[in-house]
Amino acid sequence: MLTDARKKFLDLLWPILISVLMIAGWELIVRALGVRSIILPSPSRIVETLIERHDLLLANLWPSLYLTVIGFALSVGGGILVAVLITYSSFLRRGFYPIIIVSQVVPKISIAPLFIVWFGTGAVSCLLLAFLITFFPMTINSALGFQSIDEDIHLMARTFMASPWQVFWKIRMPNALPHIFGGMKISITLAIIGVIVSEFVASQQGIGYLIKLAGGMLDTPLMMASITILSIAGLLLYGLIALVEQRAVYWQKSSDISGSAGG
Amino acid sequence: MERIEAASLVLRVKSVRKLYGALEAIRNVSLDVATNEFVSILGPSGCGKSTLLMMVAGVVDKSAGEISINDAPVTGPRPDIGVVFQQPVLLPWRTVLDNVLFPIELLKASRAKYTERAMELLAMAKIHDFADHLPRQLSGGMRQRVSICRALIHDPGILLMDEPFSALDAITRDEMGVELSRIWQANRKTVLFVTHSIREAAFLSDRVIVMGRRPATIVEEVKIELPRPRDIALMESEPFNSYVRRLRKAIEASHAH
Repeated sequence: MLTDARKKFLDLLWPILISVLMIAGWELIVRALGVRSIILPSPSRIVETLIERHDLLLANLWPSLYLTVIGFALSVGGGILVAVLITYSSFLRRGFYPIIIVSQVVPKISIAPLFIVWFGTGAVSCLLLAFLITFFPMTINSALGFQSIDEDIHLMARTFMASPWQVFWKIRMPNALPHIFGGMKISITLAIIGVIVSEFVASQQGIGYLIKLAGGMLDTPLMMASITILSIAGLLLYGLIALVEQRAVYWQKSSDISGSAGG
Repeated sequence: MERIEAASLVLRVKSVRKLYGALEAIRNVSLDVATNEFVSILGPSGCGKSTLLMMVAGVVDKSAGEISINDAPVTGPRPDIGVVFQQPVLLPWRTVLDNVLFPIELLKASRAKYTERAMELLAMAKIHDFADHLPRQLSGGMRQRVSICRALIHDPGILLMDEPFSALDAITRDEMGVELSRIWQANRKTVLFVTHSIREAAFLSDRVIVMGRRPATIVEEVKIELPRPRDIALMESEPFNSYVRRLRKAIEASHAH
């Protein structure tokens, strides 16, 4: 146990140490060379901006977070539902699954302007893009989880006369959980991307809008502060999911969990 | 073939045949098993003996013939059968106790009522200290013990075992054979045990049915009249070894065909 804790500590120590060094180097270079903050603000300047303009930043963070979480929740619900349908309907599996996969060659970000034409600027377009971009990894991962069940487990359940309902709730669902969480971890980061990009083009508020606005005014420290606060929010959301995952998927070692499938 | 009195007949397999397309896997197999008899089906890997077992379990269809349990034809899975597979097939998210109680849940019986029995079975298999462990925390032999307890939890009349120890190392395998013999002694069941290990079949069984290569047919039937309870020392004895020799000859003769 002690060595485990030690290993964990060392695993954390190095990345933290290197990050601190990099930030210190950044600060040093900016000061030594007298780089103007319009080109590259120093870390201390970014922190200053975070503190000074926290009202503005938070006022724009909430709408972005709100849309991210709702878009994410919709794609988790929708993805799991579609995965179940694909699992149980061979018609849907054969008919729609290939379409879903092939449709992934369309870069979803490029659809953002189209959404403005259809739904106007505002929350609906942002939400739709966040949903669209996260739906695929959610569906694929969940479907894999529902379907990747050992032949022997099916046979065992049959000899004990399991009903299809029991097979779903007692076998398929728990079997899918690790995959569902893998999909969720990919989706939450993608949901943020979806919301920010759509805010660039289709919103009058949110962090994406703020970044674009600050860029237009050449307010680089504000841009950097926006990116920082957004990254922190993203990290917290991801961490929250990882935490729930650890509790829900208790039967897997944490090292197995961190290696979940990519999208 | 061994004659079994009608009163004690539990399982009857009559002229069973299995085709996979044009391929004949099993040809005209008949066998009767009496109440609380331990019968092994011995044969080379891939000879169709597992298929026969799954047909008895009601999860594989037969192409011709009859299979009946207590005079009723087998048409599908039934609650009075317990199956142990080659792999333990435990659910990784369930504790040992919850895995053992899994059939109880599926059969919609009361968990509370069977928890005590589950603990007794685990104690009998000497793994009760691990009741709240997850399968991944157990060794291969312990996992297979759990799967045997699971097959016994609903107190089925018939236990079907499909090469249950073949995935284990040789030492654990001998040990598990002794354990199974002991468990069976304490918890008498009708057992149909599929194996490709001659020693295992001779050690465990009342009767060994030797099957030949594909298409599988019964080539010989040997009654094992060794005293019970049997322990590991028996495996060194001359009577045991003469049974082993006899079974080996039967298998070799079937290859000559």
